[in-house]
Amino acid sequence: MLKINNLSAAVDDGNKIILSGLSLDVPAGEVHAIMGPNGAGKSTLSYVLTGRDGYEVTSGNVTLGGEDLLEMDPEERAAKGLFLSFQYPLEIPGVPTMTFLRTAMNAQRKVRGEEEMSAVDFLKKSKATAAALKMKPEMLKRPLNVGFSGGEKKRMEIFQMMMLEPSFIVMDETDSGLDVDALRIVADGVNALRGEGRGMLIITHYQRLLDYIVPDKVHVLSGGKIAASGDADFAKKLEKEGYDAYAA
Amino acid sequence: MPTLPKSSKKKAMTLMPLELRSLPHRRLEAWKWTDVQGRVSDGQKGLSVSALPHFDLPEGVSVSEVDGDDLRTDTPMADLARQLGGKVWQIDIADGQVAGTVSIGNLMKGHSRIRINISKGAKLNLIEHYAGEAGAFSNLDLTIKMGKGAQLSRVIIHDDPADHVRVATTHISAWAEAQITQHVLSFGGALSRLETRLAAMGRTVNATLNGAYLLSDKRHADMTSYIDLTSEDCTIRQSVKGVVTDKARGVFQGKFHVRRPAQHTDAEMRHDALMLSDSSEIRSKPELEIYADDVACAHGNTLGQLDESALFYMRQRGIPAAQARALLTEAFLAEAFDDMADEDLQESLLGKVRAWLG
Repeated sequence: MLKINNLSAAVDDGNKIILSGLSLDVPAGEVHAIMGPNGAGKSTLSYVLTGRDGYEVTSGNVTLGGEDLLEMDPEERAAKGLFLSFQYPLEIPGVPTMTFLRTAMNAQRKVRGEEEMSAVDFLKKSKATAAALKMKPEMLKRPLNVGFSGGEKKRMEIFQMMMLEPSFIVMDETDSGLDVDALRIVADGVNALRGEGRGMLIITHYQRLLDYIVPDKVHVLSGGKIAASGDADFAKKLEKEGYDAYAA
Repeated sequence: MPTLPKSSKKKAMTLMPLELRSLPHRRLEAWKWTDVQGRVSDGQKGLSVSALPHFDLPEGVSVSEVDGDDLRTDTPMADLARQLGGKVWQIDIADGQVAGTVSIGNLMKGHSRIRINISKGAKLNLIEHYAGEAGAFSNLDLTIKMGKGAQLSRVIIHDDPADHVRVATTHISAWAEAQITQHVLSFGGALSRLETRLAAMGRTVNATLNGAYLLSDKRHADMTSYIDLTSEDCTIRQSVKGVVTDKARGVFQGKFHVRRPAQHTDAEMRHDALMLSDSSEIRSKPELEIYADDVACAHGNTLGQLDESALFYMRQRGIPAAQARALLTEAFLAEAFDDMADEDLQESLLGKVRAWLG
């Protein structure tokens, strides 16, 4: 599904190398976690995958479902099914959540040559999804994320994810800002999307989230590459022993 | 010391026809960014004729032509309108009359003077549509007198051809408890200035004076306002939004003049502009002149670009870059029209904004 091969990337006009020779393969249906110390390049990886400006790929390649991801614009990658749950979701003043999401959904469908979702179906789906995430319906009427708490913003990310039904999900520090109850609700949402040929990459600093979303594999990102890999229990070991053993 | 030859420029000035010489120019402080004289040529269509405005009137409202020499408007453009605009078109709204909507249009070229009296407790919606003739010049001098508790809801849609030069000056005098809401949507022209001069003469005058300008190519729009506060407890809210691209130029000049008796004035002025190209230009001059000591007055002025992080976020969700830019720009501008009472009219303005954004 997602294949990252020997990826190197830099910021500051190529002066600061963040990723150096990272390789990773997340097959369809699997959930992989990436853990690592601050500054290891976890967020950079999420931005390089999704095509944010300012991140220069200096070598390597990335394919999603066999297609070269790095050649595509961010919106094309989204239409191919790539979704990033942001560590710090943006506030979009003046754009109501429903307008935003419907615009996004229909733009993706158009690229894929699918029909637009009707207003009625969209409303129905959004109501059911909001209820599953225990979100207040008023939240959907407000401009996207404006005035939301950190936890509300994270929940809104999961809401968008469930509405857009992406084929590959990258979650960047989704657990930060969530209390235990919210974490459980969010994890239920994510787990509902597991399988069905969908891949997930969960980027997290702490092991806590992985109690709720149990990964198939856990990788340590250190010095810009995968320094070690293991199964779900490996995350517990990392939490206990720290990342020093994998320092670059 | 050698005798300097007479400057050829000065010579040219003395040969200028009266109409041209009377036009304000960039050496006047208030017109330094909007040089009407420099942009109008001798014999330009509309320069020395009167305009023929068209009025759409609701039942019970009529328009008459009066001599109107008591109008004491004192700007250079008002003088020209007085000399060349013919008689004054006058509309009277009687005490307590709920007049409905008056629309003014057909201000294609030339000078005109309009006077509207909204008497005590009366209510009027006013829509002005400025859409001029290609290559022409137009000058409107509008006076609105508001009695005690009168209400005015005013919308201006300024949609001129790219080579039209327009000045529209409005002098509003408002007595106690008058309420004014004004929303302006301007797409500029070769040169344009929409100026609002409000004198709050009584207590508790409440005015919202919002607007937006959207400029492309080499268009120029100037939004100037002068708010003269002379009584207690008045509230002013002003928010002007601008978007400029290509080689367009936006001008905002706003002044709150809070005189000594105008205690407890609560006044806020905002001008926020987005510059979508490197060669576009914004000039702004927000001014507060305050002589009363117990007031809350503020002004804010920002110039910037669209938020790249927000754009990336939208694109990550699948919204194409151009559409994301348009959505963010529309949201930015729409704030100026948020508080419009007439939702149909609001939607019609936003439709024009959307059409401009493409």
